[in-house]
Amino acid sequence: MQRFLDPAVLAGISSLDLLARTVVDGFVAGLHRSPDFGFSQEFAEYRAYTPGDDLRHVDWNLFARTERCYLKRYRGETNTQLTILLDASNSMQYTSGPPSKMDYARFIAASLFYLSIRNQRDAAGLIVFDDEVRDYIRPSTRPGQLARLFAGLERAEPRARTNFAKPLQHFQNFLHRRGMAIIISDFYESPETIIHTAAPLRFHGNEVVLFHILDPQEIRPSMKGSSMLIDLETDQKFEVVPDYVKTTYRAKIDAHIEELRSRTLAAGMDYQLLVTNQPLDSALREYLTLRQEGN
Amino acid sequence: MGFLNPWFLGGLAALGVPVFVHLLRKHVTPPRPVSSLMFFERGTQSSTRHRQLRYLLLFSLRVALILLAVLAFASPFFRRANADANARLLLIVVDNSFSMRAGTRFADAKQQALAALAAKPHGQKAQIMTLGGELEVLTQPIADDEQLRAALANVEPGDGRANFGELGRYLRTMSESVRSPIDLELFSDMQRSAMPANFADMAMPPNVKLALHPVARGNALPNWTVESVDAPAELADPKDPKRSRVAAVIAGFETPATSKNVSLLVNGKVIATRKADIPANGRATVDFAPLDVAYGFNRCQVRIDNGDAFPNDDASVFSVLRSDPQRVLFVHAANDTRSALYFGAALDAAAHASFVLQSVAAEQATDLDPSKFAFVVLSDTTSLPSIFEHALAAYVAKGGSVLIALGTSAAHHEHIPLWGGEARDIRDYARSGGSATAGSVDFGYPALEQAQPGRDNGGWAEVKFFYAAAVDPAQARVAARLNDGTPLLLEKQVGEGRIVLLSSGLDNLTNDLPLHPVFVAFVDRVARYLSGSEQLSGARLVDSFVQLRAASAGLDAGGSIEVIDPDSRRPLSLTEARTAQSLRLARAGFYQIHFANGRDAVIGVNPDRRESDLQPMSSDLLQLWSGSFAGAAPQSAGANVDDAQYRNVNLWWWVMLIALFAAMAETAWASGYMGTQREDA
Repeated sequence: MQRFLDPAVLAGISSLDLLARTVVDGFVAGLHRSPDFGFSQEFAEYRAYTPGDDLRHVDWNLFARTERCYLKRYRGETNTQLTILLDASNSMQYTSGPPSKMDYARFIAASLFYLSIRNQRDAAGLIVFDDEVRDYIRPSTRPGQLARLFAGLERAEPRARTNFAKPLQHFQNFLHRRGMAIIISDFYESPETIIHTAAPLRFHGNEVVLFHILDPQEIRPSMKGSSMLIDLETDQKFEVVPDYVKTTYRAKIDAHIEELRSRTLAAGMDYQLLVTNQPLDSALREYLTLRQEGN
Repeated sequence: MGFLNPWFLGGLAALGVPVFVHLLRKHVTPPRPVSSLMFFERGTQSSTRHRQLRYLLLFSLRVALILLAVLAFASPFFRRANADANARLLLIVVDNSFSMRAGTRFADAKQQALAALAAKPHGQKAQIMTLGGELEVLTQPIADDEQLRAALANVEPGDGRANFGELGRYLRTMSESVRSPIDLELFSDMQRSAMPANFADMAMPPNVKLALHPVARGNALPNWTVESVDAPAELADPKDPKRSRVAAVIAGFETPATSKNVSLLVNGKVIATRKADIPANGRATVDFAPLDVAYGFNRCQVRIDNGDAFPNDDASVFSVLRSDPQRVLFVHAANDTRSALYFGAALDAAAHASFVLQSVAAEQATDLDPSKFAFVVLSDTTSLPSIFEHALAAYVAKGGSVLIALGTSAAHHEHIPLWGGEARDIRDYARSGGSATAGSVDFGYPALEQAQPGRDNGGWAEVKFFYAAAVDPAQARVAARLNDGTPLLLEKQVGEGRIVLLSSGLDNLTNDLPLHPVFVAFVDRVARYLSGSEQLSGARLVDSFVQLRAASAGLDAGGSIEVIDPDSRRPLSLTEARTAQSLRLARAGFYQIHFANGRDAVIGVNPDRRESDLQPMSSDLLQLWSGSFAGAAPQSAGANVDDAQYRNVNLWWWVMLIALFAAMAETAWASGYMGTQREDA
């Protein structure tokens, strides 16, 4: 359990200012102010009364002193719920060196759970999926939620293939509040399919972030000679020559990443590429920095 | 380059193992898992090429390891020359024998030798020799080109006879001390007559590489020569028809039948000319009689008047000493009258010398002075007057000669006067009803000299000996023995003189020798030998020796000897003139000798007439000689030549060392591959 609470990781994340979160529901409550005005204890501004305004919001004390009718407005503090969709297909067990993509995904998910529940008092939930939804932990702020989430992460062992359609449909069925959905996967699917599947989440007002986890060898593979490759998910195998890996493959994976990034941003979602040899905190910091810059 | 154990090369078949492993065996690549094959495409690469590229170094190391291990067991070696070119001795031998005077042979040989010397690498040692009457070493092995060239330039043609057998013997002796390779360059006319009787005598030792440079090409030139001259060395009466005559044999080599004028010259004047009809490749005899010469030494010459291709051998020289007859003292027992008769008759019948025999009984010899006689004969004298015996001993010590014949009296008196020994036993063959014959005869002994003795042992086989005394030879030289081993003829040097002992008598009682023709020849030669007249005149061959002093004479005994050679030079130094015991007659012409005892001699010296046969050796013989030992014993001799010039350097240790490095490199490289495979798995 402690491996998810690495103080260095937490320290790294805590040093970042969550003010960078400017979106409406806030990524982490307490550090992000809600873009939506609601009922809150913190005064925001006065506004002149116009017919049709709710009289409950009129500041009668001010009217008594000035005989002018103003509405008193407050800055609302909203709690959001974080749902992480973790890909636990077989492709996530690939590694060219520790950690594997699955472990790296667990680290990130655990860090985010901790950050959201302990610091932000947000509800957090987990959906582990491959071609089916294997595990679902409803978002909650109840005590013990963090432990349940961690246990869910522990149980998430890679197997089977990836199918984004079913888990996202399942997520939509259980989603009643707006929140943040983070999809952690290696996204070995066509970008069009991914975006087509994830876009409905965005339509419900959710903030959708795609964490694209890849191993360094998947981006810049090295191959000394002709090798027989086997697909971890389909068990398909064929011989690949080094010349192809050095040239065509790299171009294809780069194009895939770039297309996924562009399509994601075009769909109003966020995208972050995480390579397993990058430090965990730096990856989160980079993401948060991007969010800050984006706002 | 070779292998000491070439059968181990069969291990090269093991090279098939890495070839099979790397090139032929089906290559199984462990599958490499990837997350998805979404971005991969199938690509097939030639498995052979693939493996060649990937495992080329490993394959090479394994092949090299096996190859080196096999080579190490096969023990490779290479042959390294024992000595470099400069360590090889260049031996230049120039034939300066008499035949090289024909035409331009000697000049050509000398020119070619100089060219060979000029072609010698600087710093290589060389040695110059001449092959004439004897093998003469002109320089030691030196690298000084100037000195070598000067020695070669000073070589002059000689009058001796070349003998390739002597060259072979010298080099075989030389190779025992000089182990370095020798390049022998022989410049000669390759005369066939220079070959020894046994071809093996010409064979060169293994470390000698013989290169022949014949200077005479094609067929031999026709050549006539005065082959031999039979003339008296001493002549007492020019009108004596038996002795006063000269018989010359004219021989032709490769010649057609022709007529030649042959002249006899005495002291430079032609006194007679004869016409000789010489058949093709044949011989003709020319007689000159009488030989009218003046008192004293006469330098005579028989000469073919018409010249030919080789004029140097057209004359033969000899000297004739005309003097009064020499007296010979014959001392016999009182009751022996036959021996003097037989001996005197034989002495008169001899053709070459003139002697007058003075016969006297032993008892009457008291007052005689032996020094007035050419030599003394003691025939069956068991006792001599003491005064005469003493005078006789002194006579012998000063150079006189005595012939002792033991007759029947030896049985009664064992002491042999003047001889210094006793007759140990008496062999009375007649008593046993038989006889003895001369079993072995030394025909090289001057008193028994015969050029070509026949099957009858030169006539001695027919002589029957009935009675002989067994004399201990001690220090004496035994010239003939009876068939039972009893010494028959002995010679002993006493002082400067000599004593010849015949263990049988000179009469016809103890043997029948006087009844045989060989007796006349024996007496003649003994008389000439003992009188010393044959040393004083006559003719000799080049490279023969004249005895100047007795071998038993001490140094500086009797004063110095003066010799004047045909070039009017004195070949002996002052020291040699006092000590030399013999003189080699190296030049053709007349030698004038003044002996220590006051006697003079003039000797005509002629080249060996075998040199006049200019027929060269056949090319087959030359080829056989130049590679003589390779032909005689191709394997052992060839191996010896190789051993002398090369040595084998075994490389197995170095090969094994390289194999060790290859094994270490292969291990390191292969472990790298294994590590990669584990990681892939």
